[in-house]
This record gives sequence, C-alpha cells and structure tokens, in this order.
Amino acid sequence: MLNRNAEALFWIGRYMERAENHARLIDVHFHLQAEDTLAIPRSDGGTIKQTLCKWGRIVDALGSRSSYEQQYGSYTEQDVVHYITLDRDNANSLVTCVNHARDNVRTLREKLPSELWDVTNGFYLWLREKQAGDLTHESPHQFFSRIKEWTSLFHGITQSVMPRENEWHFIECGRYLERTENTLRIMQSAIMTRSLSPSEEGDNFEIYPYLQAVLRSVSGYQTFRRYYADGVSPDAIIEFLVLNEVFPRSVHFSLHELDAHLRGIELQEKQLRSAHDRIIRQVVKLKAELACLEREDLQMDPEGKVTGHLLQAAGQLGAAFAQTFFRFGEVSA
Amino acid sequence: MSMAMQSQFNFYDSQSFYDEMFDKDLTVRMHYEGVHRTFARMKPPELAARHATMQQRMLEEGITFTLYAQDQSEPLERTIPFDYIPRIIPRHEWESIERGMKQRVKALNAFIRDIYHEQAIVKDGIIPRSMIIGNTYFRPEMAGLHVPQNVYMTASGIDLIRDEKGRYFVLEDNLRTPSGFSYLYKGRSLMSELFSELYLSSAVADIERSLNIFLSSLRSLAPSGKRDPLIVLLTPGAYNSAYFEHAFLAQQMGIHLVEGRDLVYKDHKIYLRDLRGLRQVDVIYRRLDDEYLDPLAFQSDSLLGVPGLMNAYRAGNIAIANAPGTGVADDKAVYAYVPDMIRYYSGEEPILDNVPTYVLARKEDREYALANLDQLVVKETSLSGGYGMLIGPAASQKEIHTFADAIRRDPSRYIAQTTMKLSRAPVMLGGAMQPRHIDLRVFVLMGGSQMHVIPGGLTRVALQEGSLVVNSSQGGGVKDTWVLSR
Repeated sequence: MLNRNAEALFWIGRYMERAENHARLIDVHFHLQAEDTLAIPRSDGGTIKQTLCKWGRIVDALGSRSSYEQQYGSYTEQDVVHYITLDRDNANSLVTCVNHARDNVRTLREKLPSELWDVTNGFYLWLREKQAGDLTHESPHQFFSRIKEWTSLFHGITQSVMPRENEWHFIECGRYLERTENTLRIMQSAIMTRSLSPSEEGDNFEIYPYLQAVLRSVSGYQTFRRYYADGVSPDAIIEFLVLNEVFPRSVHFSLHELDAHLRGIELQEKQLRSAHDRIIRQVVKLKAELACLEREDLQMDPEGKVTGHLLQAAGQLGAAFAQTFFRFGEVSA
Repeated sequence: MSMAMQSQFNFYDSQSFYDEMFDKDLTVRMHYEGVHRTFARMKPPELAARHATMQQRMLEEGITFTLYAQDQSEPLERTIPFDYIPRIIPRHEWESIERGMKQRVKALNAFIRDIYHEQAIVKDGIIPRSMIIGNTYFRPEMAGLHVPQNVYMTASGIDLIRDEKGRYFVLEDNLRTPSGFSYLYKGRSLMSELFSELYLSSAVADIERSLNIFLSSLRSLAPSGKRDPLIVLLTPGAYNSAYFEHAFLAQQMGIHLVEGRDLVYKDHKIYLRDLRGLRQVDVIYRRLDDEYLDPLAFQSDSLLGVPGLMNAYRAGNIAIANAPGTGVADDKAVYAYVPDMIRYYSGEEPILDNVPTYVLARKEDREYALANLDQLVVKETSLSGGYGMLIGPAASQKEIHTFADAIRRDPSRYIAQTTMKLSRAPVMLGGAMQPRHIDLRVFVLMGGSQMHVIPGGLTRVALQEGSLVVNSSQGGGVKDTWVLSR
C-alpha cells in the first residue's frame, strides 16, 4: 500500500467520525434553552465573566472559536448552524468533512468496496443540495438524524464487507483517534460548566439540562444511568466519559480500539516497522496513564489540566501517524 | 387583525367558557402571543406537513397505547392524538398551583399513614368510619405496617380543571398508579424538535431534571439505605395498555423493567432472576394494581405478581412504590373530604379547591342531587377511567331515571358534582383553531427528603366538539404544557 493511500484511508475514518460528532453535538445543543454566563479563562490567568450562549459553546467544543469570530463576529443560531454544517470555508464544517472523505475514497476506488464509494458519494451529493434555510425552518433534529444515518451507513458497510487488512485498520485508526479527541473536547466544555456549579453535592439545577446534553450528544445517557443512576454531576460525567470501559465513545474505549487496530497493521519494511512500534508504545503509554487516573485526579482538576494533557497526547499521536506512515503527505487537521 | 384570521374565530364563542388563549373579547392573552403568532402565520400545507411528521415520529417511536374494545378481536394499537398548540401557564399562576399541589399531596400522604395507624382523623370525627371500612381500596394488610420513609405515594397525578372564571379546581386525585409521564415527555421532545424556534424563544421550564428527581425519590426508599439499590419497574407485561410508558420510564431512569415471573421470593427478600443469578431487589416501582401484587395476600389467581411480596414488605426488606392501599385516598367519596384533611393535618386552608361535591350517602346531599340530576355530574366511587358516569346536562330523561334508580339502590356507590364549565383551549383541526375542553394532570413526586412537582404536566383534550371527557381510553388527546420560567 502506498503512503498516500494509507494517509487517505486514515483521514476517511477521521472525517466521517468528525462529521458524525459534529452532527451529534449540534443537534443536542440545538434543543438547549439556557442562555447562561460562562467563566472564560483568560490568557493572563484571570477569569472574565462573559455571556457565551450555547452557540458559543458549540463553536467552542468544536475547537474553532477564533476563526469563527473573525468571520462572523457574533454568535447567532443561524450563523453558527451555517458555519458548522454548510460553510465551505470552514475546514471543519460538515460539508467540508464529507467532501474530503469523498475525495479520499475517490482516490482509492479500486481498492475499496464499491458500496463504500456509493454511500460516501450519495452522502456528499445529498448534503451539497442543502440550504441554510432548510436546516432551521424545518426540523433541525431531522436533518441531524439523517446525518447520523449516513455515517452509520458508512460504518456499517466498512464493518460488513471490508477485508480485515491494512485498509480497514487505517480507517479505524483514524476513526478512534478522532473520537478520542472529540470526546475530550466535549469534556472540556463540561469542565467549564463544573466551575459554575456549587461544589457541594446537590442542586445542579441550572446546569442540569446542559449536563444531560453532554451525555445525549454522545448517546451516553442510558449507559450513564446504569452506572451512576441519579448522580448526574459534572464530575460523574467526566469520569464516565474518560474511564468507562464498555461505553464505545469513552476515551478509554477509543484508545483501546485505536491500540488494537494499530497492532493490526502489518508492515514489511524494517524501518517502517520500528516506527510503527514506536507509535504503539506511545498509545500504550497513554493507556497506562489513563489506567492510573483516579476519580480524584479528574475531580481535582478545575482548569481541565488532565483533559488538556490528554488532548495534547492525542494530538501527538496524530503527528506520529503522519511522520510514520504518510511522510510526504500534508497533514490536514 | 387580518380578515383571514378573523374567519378562524367564527368557531369561537368565548362567552360561556374560559379560554386559555383568548380573552372575552377575543384578544390573545399576553402569555400566548408568541404561540398564537406562530400558528396563525402557518399555511394549511405547512400545518399538514408538521402534523404528518409528528404522526410518523410517534409511530416510529412506538408512542402508542393499546385499546381493548369489546367488539374487537384484535386490540388496536394507536398513537394518542397529539395537538401541537401548546398549553401555556404563566409563572405566577404555576407557583400557586405548585404550592397547592405540595400541600394537598402532603396531607393525602399523612391521611393514608393515619388510616393505617392511629386513625386519629376518624376518632376526631372528621371522616366517617364507613368511608374507610367500606372502601374497596382499603387494605387491612397495611394496618400498622411501617413503610420506608413514611412515603406512601412516590408518584401522584392530580387532575386540575378551570371554571368559566379561570379558577383552578382539583377534579380528582390519582394515587395508585397514575400514568401519563411518557406522553408528557414525548410531547415535549416532539415540540422541541418540530417547533424548536417557538420552543426555544419561549423560556419554558425544564422537565428533564424531574426524571432525575423521580429516580432519586425511588432510590431514597431503599431499605437499609443502600448506596446502590437495585430498582425495578414491575409491569403487567407487554399487553398492558400503558406498556409504552413502562418501557419509557425504565429506560429513562435506567431501572430494570420486569414482570412478576422475573422476581423470586426467598427468606423474606425479593430477588431478581437474571443471567448473573439472583440479585436482591430493594425498590419496586409497580405499575399494576394492589390486587395483582401478591397472590398469597390478595387476588389468589393472579399470575402477574410475586407470591410472598407482602411478606418481604412486612419484613422491611423491600420498598413498594406506590405503597399498597393508597387507593383509600383516591376514592371519589373520600375526595370530598380532602379539604378537611388539609385543614386537619396541616392547619392551613386549602390553596386549591375541590369541585363542589355531594356525597350521596348523606341524606341531604342525596335529596338535593336526585332533585337536580339534570344539572349534575354523577360518578361511581369505585371505578376510574371515565366509565360509569352520568353527565346530567347532556343526558336523556331515560338515562337520568336509570341513574336515579341506581343511586336509590346503593347511594354510597356514587357522588355527584356541580357540572363545571371546563375551560377550553384551541386545537388545530382541519387547518383552523377550534376550541376544545381541557384538563391538566399534574404529577407530584415524593421522596424521603423532598417533594417535587413536574413543571406543567399533561394537558388532556376532549377532541369531540363540546365533549367533556378527556380520558385517552375515551378518545381524548394531549398537548404539551409549558410553564413559562420568566
């Protein structure tokens, strides 16, 4: 397999996962009502109280606040929804992600099941036809449900017909690395919320809908209930999202899957093999760090240092992938 | 007001009833302005499209109830008619309803505890002993039994109506296994998805947290105060008409949905039989009636319950929500005494009034009622669900005679009430707003340490023009209910 093929596959997995996560996040936040004031940490170490409505939080969770503000200025529903879904100038918008995934599948058409091209192409063509008005005037929820159906279709086809060879493992590596990062980003916004809530057990009255939205955005609400019952608190949610072993969108689960798929990649070239081993060791180290994390570490982390560190480590993994397998490729994050 | 809108109001006569949306002179009440604007602007095709989407979603999600009709071999599974013009309650109005609800449920709980212990309220002559002893729902098995946290009713559903002046009255108390939670929650999610702009711009009080409080309330009942109690929802099974609700609540609260056969009684404890073997159950939220709970204690041919459950209950090893025997307080004859209970147990005047009620076992009440049957509503005291009713103003002479005879034969089986001019709210029918009678089922949750009223509740609509019967078993529909938070 060529380097650029490996890179294309890795990014197909990433982009599809990203599209799904964006759809999940924005769908759930769309139905949140509270316009609340969040404490925004300032670079000089102080904290300013500023009103950041849910739209600001969405942009925040998707990690592109500065570029949004440059382009749109203020946070309005219409602008944010457009920016996240249909804005072709936004490198992270839904339509951009799906377009990139489609381009990448196109370069590999002869190596991949034809159904994979059909679904990616169909997805892109469907999305391309959408206008901003379609989303907000009809039912945004239905639109985002359709997005999830498309990505599920894509994953279903890879699951059911792809041979378990390098191609498959690269797609899955991309998917799980992306998922790790996404879940961590969602958590950072949960941590922001934690700083708002009273420290004692009890009345999360103001932030309850938001906490629930965090869980719903990863479809973790029912699983969370089974483990934590009525203890819906920012701490419990953060712990659940990082450490739960059976929930498929937790950091723990995603890293373990990433590890498994990384080991599944078979390489002939000696030099490449040692680089490959290095990445595996990097993932193992991160898994070990996670295993040593205790509840308390996450609770004693008001500034989100732990999640920040994990996010950084995930970013390094992405870079290591690029250096090892793609070498000449441009990494387009 | 445009001519097009004017034509809609030809359906409206707002003279004799209180209308939720329109004032006497057909101006829109202030708290309804946003909603009215939204629906008045919508063209029929758009309204039809929304309606179709909603129906589709309800079918897909299986938001249905099962209707067993006598002349039908196959039970009908149908979606409950959902009207998408929300009912709106201003904040200050809600606050007083909420206070009234807490006051009422607290008194009812104290009453039930009293009835099964000291019976002070009977000894003090507030309530006649016959009301208790002759009561179908009185459970001698509960006498002297200590229930966890002294909470008899974890969940109650209190039905409210409004008269022609817009005053709220309690119509009845549902204290056994009130249902309607799932329609309340599904109605809300449908509204927030299909009319998200309207919903988001309206500042509606959140109801999601209430589900968490529901779960907390159930957990607070666990005997021995276990940190991680095992909670189950006991359903009669998938054929029950409210099965959708049972599945919904179990899923939302993350508790096990079980049938009687999944539970085992052993050594004065109740166990759940699952793949991991037997696990001790701490709390049962049951959605079946007392008489089916335990064939050893109640109806012996019932296959729905758990033989031995009452033994485990008496031994203090299991909590049952709602406790057996709460029906003693939701009997329609006892209802007449609730205002007295409130005064007796709390020393306060009732915040929410009863509908004026005649207890036909009393001579003077009976004589008045028999003379005025054509103006009264007569209800049987031991039946629920809108069966066995006489609506005087709408009844024929023959029906009135039949009922009069029945009352003379067995007066204690009936109560009579002033016919209330139920308030109305517009529903969307055939692309136009038309007024229909409504009531409101308010849900109160009670745990060991807190009491909570779910903001809003379930507004039920009598879809037949002029009809006063809102029960879903009788073809009633529902609306989402918005309490404004500012």
